[in-house]
Amino acid sequence: MNQLIAITVNTFKETIRDRVLAVIVVFALIMIAAGLWLGSISLGEQGRMMTDFGLVAVTGFGLIVAVFVAAGLVRKEVEKRTVYVLFSKPVSRVAFISGKFVGLCGTMAVVLAGMGLFLFALVWVVSGHPSGMVLLAVVMIYVQLLAIMAVTIFFSTLGSAILASVLGICVFVAGQLSHNVLALTRLGKNPLTEALSWVVYVTVPNLSAVDVKAGVVGEQTLAWGQIGLWTAYLAAYVVVVLALAALIFRRKEF
Amino acid sequence: MPDSQHDTPQQDASRPAVLVSGLHKTVRVGFRARRLEILKGVDFHVEHGDVFGLLGPNGAGKTTSVKVILGLMRPTSGTASMGVAGLERVGYLPENPYFYDYLSGREFLGFCARLFALEAGERRERVEGLLGDVGLVDAGDVHLRKYSKGMLQRIGIAQALVNDPELVLLDEPMTGLDPVGRVEVKRIIQSLHERGKTVLFNSHILSDVHELCSRIAIMREGRVAWQGTVPEAMVDSPTLEDFFMKVVTA
Repeated sequence: MNQLIAITVNTFKETIRDRVLAVIVVFALIMIAAGLWLGSISLGEQGRMMTDFGLVAVTGFGLIVAVFVAAGLVRKEVEKRTVYVLFSKPVSRVAFISGKFVGLCGTMAVVLAGMGLFLFALVWVVSGHPSGMVLLAVVMIYVQLLAIMAVTIFFSTLGSAILASVLGICVFVAGQLSHNVLALTRLGKNPLTEALSWVVYVTVPNLSAVDVKAGVVGEQTLAWGQIGLWTAYLAAYVVVVLALAALIFRRKEF
Repeated sequence: MPDSQHDTPQQDASRPAVLVSGLHKTVRVGFRARRLEILKGVDFHVEHGDVFGLLGPNGAGKTTSVKVILGLMRPTSGTASMGVAGLERVGYLPENPYFYDYLSGREFLGFCARLFALEAGERRERVEGLLGDVGLVDAGDVHLRKYSKGMLQRIGIAQALVNDPELVLLDEPMTGLDPVGRVEVKRIIQSLHERGKTVLFNSHILSDVHELCSRIAIMREGRVAWQGTVPEAMVDSPTLEDFFMKVVTA
């Protein structure tokens, strides 16, 4: 447990002190603020436009942080040979992978909290009343990004950081679309495409199931019971993916 | 591969501190995964309390042998074992070390101490003591990215000693050090010896080996070509350098 805490704290320090992260967050805040302008040119929908655009910006910039930071976490330790220092001490590969993930979860929480609170304040100013749904939507974006971080860490144990980043983004896109694609291919009645989209649906995390952006801006009614179940599914998905990553990492030599 | 490749027996004086027997290591290199045999049957042992020098030209297999002993690499065949109670009792300084440059020296040592589950008070005491031992008290709060090569080497030695190990493996500990740094590192190794610790170190600086080591092994092309005490090596050779050259060019 001590090893896990030490690696978690160290990973949090590593990622939160990264200047690139600060640049991305500042840029994200500027983009969220740009929603004010976008809202001002919409007719009577300023609050909704602001919320919609802001949540997309939070998702996009959160994804950039999740994928690019997660892809480098394990690879950097191997390439810079700091793994020699770690694994010559009583540190298990499971604690290493878990600590990296949990540390990054902390950083992502700080990043999303910053962006989410900024958006919340802007929406409050524009619409004149606070919207707790904005914060809930940011929490659900966080849940989605945790799954993407775990998947990217898994890919980084197999190949380069660039490959892991690209695959992480692919899984995010596939996770947003897999549910709809499966529904569409079922309508097409082609067994091969249906089987393929079923495989994708089962393999990639179903992120659209916990995406509440449409509900927050009033386009959809939210079924919180189902969202809770899908969140539990994503948590189980994260555990399985990290266990696989640790299994692969255990076989590595340095 | 298990998380720790070594048994964790309690220290046993009848078992050598390090026992390497018939060690072979083959790796695959290049696009066509060509087989490269790095270790071709390495045998040596280090007794408890020894300061043991593992010598040899570049590419002889010294670092690979140490990595197999630590479990960073798996042997293709043969065995490498340590006669101490697991990695909890081992300290290791890698060759050309690179550490987390976003941490200060003090934070880095604290992090390493935490990996050994030391209590907060003991951790603080150990970190401050080690910073003093390696002459980095004033640079303790400076980020490692601002450290010189010699300072990194010294913080590397400090992290290897953070758990008060019984067995210390140092890979090229004198590399990058100025004369003052070398004297300090030699003093640390001598002090470890006086406290009954076992030290195994790789080095190309034979004068340091002569000064510090009780026993040496000379590796050549993946094998131990000679091992024994320093006086034995110098029976027919005026200097350790002469003997070393005889062995590696034989």
